Amino acid sequence: MDLLVLDPTQDPDQDGHISQVTHSHVTPVSPPCFRKEVDSDGICWLTFDTPNASANVWNFATLEEFDRHIEELHRDHEVCALIIRGSKEKVFIAGADLKMVQTLPSEELYELLALGQDVFTHLESLRIPKIAAIHGTCVGGGFEMALACDYRVASKCDSTRIGLPETQLGLIPAWGGSTRLPRLIGLPKALDLIIRGKIMTADQAKRQGLVHEVVPEEHLMSFAKKMALKPMRINAHHFHFTQVWPIPQWLRYHAKSLLTSKHSWMKEVQASPLIAIDVITHGASKSIEESLLLEQGAIRKLADSGMTKSLIETFLRKENASKKLPAPYIHVKPRSITHVAVIGAGVMGSGIAYALACKGTRVLLCDTSPDFIARGVDRINQLFQAGVKNHVLTRKQARESKDRITFTSESVPMKRMDMVIEAIVEEMSVKKQLFADLAMRCRDDTILATNTSALSVMEIAKAVPYPERVVGLHFFNPAHLMPLVEVVQLEKTLPEVVTTMMRFVQSMGKTPILVRDAPGFIVNRILVPYLLGAVKLAVDMRDPWMIDDAMTEFGMPMGPLRLLDEVGFDVALHVEKTLRNAFGDRVPQCSLLSEMMAHGMLGRKNDRGFYSAFQSKNGEQPNPEVLTFLQPKVGSLTKAQIIDQLQGLMQDEAQRCLDDKVAASASDIELAMTLGAGYPPFRHLFPHQT
Amino acid sequence: MKTNSLFIVAGVRTPFCRAGTSLAEMDSVELGRLAVNGLFARTGLDPALVDETFFGCVAQPANAANMARVIALRAGVPKEKPAMTVQRNCASGMEAVTTAQDKLSAQHGEVFLVGGGESMSQMPLLFRHEAAIKFAMLSRAKGFMGKAGAMAAFRAQDFAPLIALKMGLTDPVAALNMGETAEILAREFQISREEQDTFALRSHQLASSSREMLHEEIIPVYAGSKDVKAITEDNGIRKDISLEKLASLPSIFDLLTGSVTAGNASQITDGAVALLTCSEAKVSTLGLKPLGRVVSYAYTGCDPERMGLGPVKAIELALKRAGWKLQDVDIIEINEAFATQVLAVLKCLKDRVYADRAGLEAPLGEIDLSTLNRQGGSIALGHPVGASGARLILTALQQLHHTHKKRALVSLCIGGGQGGAVCLETL
Repeated sequence: MDLLVLDPTQDPDQDGHISQVTHSHVTPVSPPCFRKEVDSDGICWLTFDTPNASANVWNFATLEEFDRHIEELHRDHEVCALIIRGSKEKVFIAGADLKMVQTLPSEELYELLALGQDVFTHLESLRIPKIAAIHGTCVGGGFEMALACDYRVASKCDSTRIGLPETQLGLIPAWGGSTRLPRLIGLPKALDLIIRGKIMTADQAKRQGLVHEVVPEEHLMSFAKKMALKPMRINAHHFHFTQVWPIPQWLRYHAKSLLTSKHSWMKEVQASPLIAIDVITHGASKSIEESLLLEQGAIRKLADSGMTKSLIETFLRKENASKKLPAPYIHVKPRSITHVAVIGAGVMGSGIAYALACKGTRVLLCDTSPDFIARGVDRINQLFQAGVKNHVLTRKQARESKDRITFTSESVPMKRMDMVIEAIVEEMSVKKQLFADLAMRCRDDTILATNTSALSVMEIAKAVPYPERVVGLHFFNPAHLMPLVEVVQLEKTLPEVVTTMMRFVQSMGKTPILVRDAPGFIVNRILVPYLLGAVKLAVDMRDPWMIDDAMTEFGMPMGPLRLLDEVGFDVALHVEKTLRNAFGDRVPQCSLLSEMMAHGMLGRKNDRGFYSAFQSKNGEQPNPEVLTFLQPKVGSLTKAQIIDQLQGLMQDEAQRCLDDKVAASASDIELAMTLGAGYPPFRHLFPHQT
Repeated sequence: MKTNSLFIVAGVRTPFCRAGTSLAEMDSVELGRLAVNGLFARTGLDPALVDETFFGCVAQPANAANMARVIALRAGVPKEKPAMTVQRNCASGMEAVTTAQDKLSAQHGEVFLVGGGESMSQMPLLFRHEAAIKFAMLSRAKGFMGKAGAMAAFRAQDFAPLIALKMGLTDPVAALNMGETAEILAREFQISREEQDTFALRSHQLASSSREMLHEEIIPVYAGSKDVKAITEDNGIRKDISLEKLASLPSIFDLLTGSVTAGNASQITDGAVALLTCSEAKVSTLGLKPLGRVVSYAYTGCDPERMGLGPVKAIELALKRAGWKLQDVDIIEINEAFATQVLAVLKCLKDRVYADRAGLEAPLGEIDLSTLNRQGGSIALGHPVGASGARLILTALQQLHHTHKKRALVSLCIGGGQGGAVCLETL
């Protein structure tokens, strides 16, 4: 289907727009998704209301139905303005139907793409004021539709979220988003929003210029109507000064070099953010029609790469895992968790307390001495400061959340606690002692969770009466940022407790993956052999930092040696010990780490690891001290060989994880690795499955 | 039969720190919130139990006009539960407790969160009214010339601030600073500088030997914006103090002939106290172990110029209402606003001539010094004005428990010419 160039001054019959395109895959009897009403003032209210669904999405059927209404309006001279609204509580328009995008063969995907562009251009060419009254999520294709309108007003409501997150799914905004947004708010801002795929609140969206006004939900429709009756510049083709030579050219160079220096894997594969930069910056110096063609071309390139599909797959899996429960637990009712005690004010404990408080839970943070707590308070204060600085929290939210955390260094009663999360030193005897003590101070049904990363939850549970309420809740560091939590279930854990924990983690905005109590669970079990494998390779190499380069090009967010520095050698060796006890010599053997530790190197903690100068302005630098421990062999490995070996280590262990039934499915393991260790979703963890 | 007296279930306080030191960056609300948080953490009780909150504060912060409400909400008391800030100058913390007693007697609730908090570090500097008018004119002025004209009206003295702390400690009726009222007592009751310094020394010595006991009242506070430190102790207590050092201090309020110095007066301090109180019925339904109960209380007035004598009449009336004699009391806390003021009160209670001057018909008797302020007083610990009244009640009850005694009397003098006293007893 060709793209149609529209001239708004043309007669609707002459504009060459062919509506009523029938597609073979549209069932002609599909129920109508739009309601059209024209009120006494001549304003047309078009309500997007998909029957029996909680969200509105764009697919062939809805786009075509929408187009028919637009066509009618082109011919109707009575109507003086168009207001588009949604009827759903939480969602205005959630964008394109992702499941459809994922399953469509490439040819039909292009057709869908062209149709969307066409319909929105058709909408834009209407010669009346067009107003999008946004209440609820308005992302991707939903916001691209709103961009084709003349005026956007959003409700000041928590569920109102606005953005173009396509690049997160390996796509680019291709229904005009990459073309119209830069013309509206300027290239630099548009690039930033599209590349990061950030989804914003209504107020943030207004600050960025994405919507004109933000009004209370109750006044949204009356305000939209007020605006509809005012004279308004329509079909205004914006021009932003940042479109002028040489700004787009310079931005393209700058953004690309910034991105590839940070994510070196992007050089190797067809990464959507890079393509988005190309489309936006090239499109900015061309006409709208040409820019829309560029969008189309880009999608063709992306859709063929297969990466898009795996990113969408990961996204859908994540959505599923963070909203739904695993099959056996669907009908089990969760308990409500409002009061939580966190034991241990260390890095993990304070991170967990911060994350909980931000989501509205009252937290009691306990440790053994006021001085330990003071350090925890310090960490939490810094997290709040950073949260406010990065606009994650408003000042008011930060204060409210901070107020939810109480600190104590005394052995206080905990009868009021619905659950306790332990995040203390990784030592079995200490943990068992603590759990025995906690059981005395808590109710008999208080859920006791341990944040152990490798110790046996089963063993800890033995210290407690009513062990069926004990679970593992393995957060990752930094706890407030990492989206994954491994929920460790024992054989005797009550289903009610499991459901409660899954829902609890979901309510924190994180993704729970249910795992069995096995050493290292999923992520550490797969990650540690890989890390140790990398160390083993490093011994033979002249330039061990090449391993990090290779793995970041592979797509890991951080090289293995750099990650070891981050984790700390002591912690890594501790986990290694646990895993070696369980799995024997399958874990790669190498004495380099212990040798380095014997010489007082601990990693980032004391600024002496594979890297040093962590605090310096230019970031960490390779630490030449390492070289003295190595015995380089002649003829070192190529990057491809390194990747091959290390990926192999992870793949082998993942397969064993699956065989041991640590998680319910291969997709759970893949998702856990992606969210917990940053394993690139477009690489296969299970090579034998497709 | 159940009494309708108020049971004090538990209490904690923040460390008391000299103004401008460790707690200086926290305002009254924050101090109060931390004390309340600590109270609920230590007792493990649910804030939702609270029927109403009363908090005392003298210099109520401008940004939290009803401080008690802000504290209650921020500490997790449900929003349906009302809260009120009370102010009776130095007895504001005590007023919170006695207000709870009144509400209980009137059957307006059963569980009350009470306390007092004061950040004397954060008392503001104010603009004079004349200056405020000029600022208003400036903001209303239109155009460049208008603004320039309005600006020209300012004089240097407009920018000299009024010090709220100093104003708060000055009685507007008598037009005397609190220290000056103490000087009057020193003169009229012939209390020498030496007697005052000896009493101050005693306060410091008792306080530093009772650190362990005081520690039980205190919950640590984590202060500092950059480098957070755990504040676990009162920092006004001076271990190394001596009579010579005290004698070397200048008298502040009467430079030539005065005797009241920074050493024998209470310190200017930040701190907050929180107590959980409830009815006898609630004590049994919740299975609590209360510290004690309020038997009676009284507030009385006196000459604002001799406000330090306030406790005399208040003690008489409170004892009368309790049906006690002064000799029946095991533990006595009289707030040490000034050493001379406490000594004057003791004289009035004991001596017929002085009793007459304070308006007593007959002296009540001599107070055994071993029962008075056994763990030091405000001279050593400091006097965060809104909090002290509640601290005295808390510390008296703690002392009853440590000594296994039964009856305590708490009293303080109130700026503006009042006295307050509360009779307490363990069960």
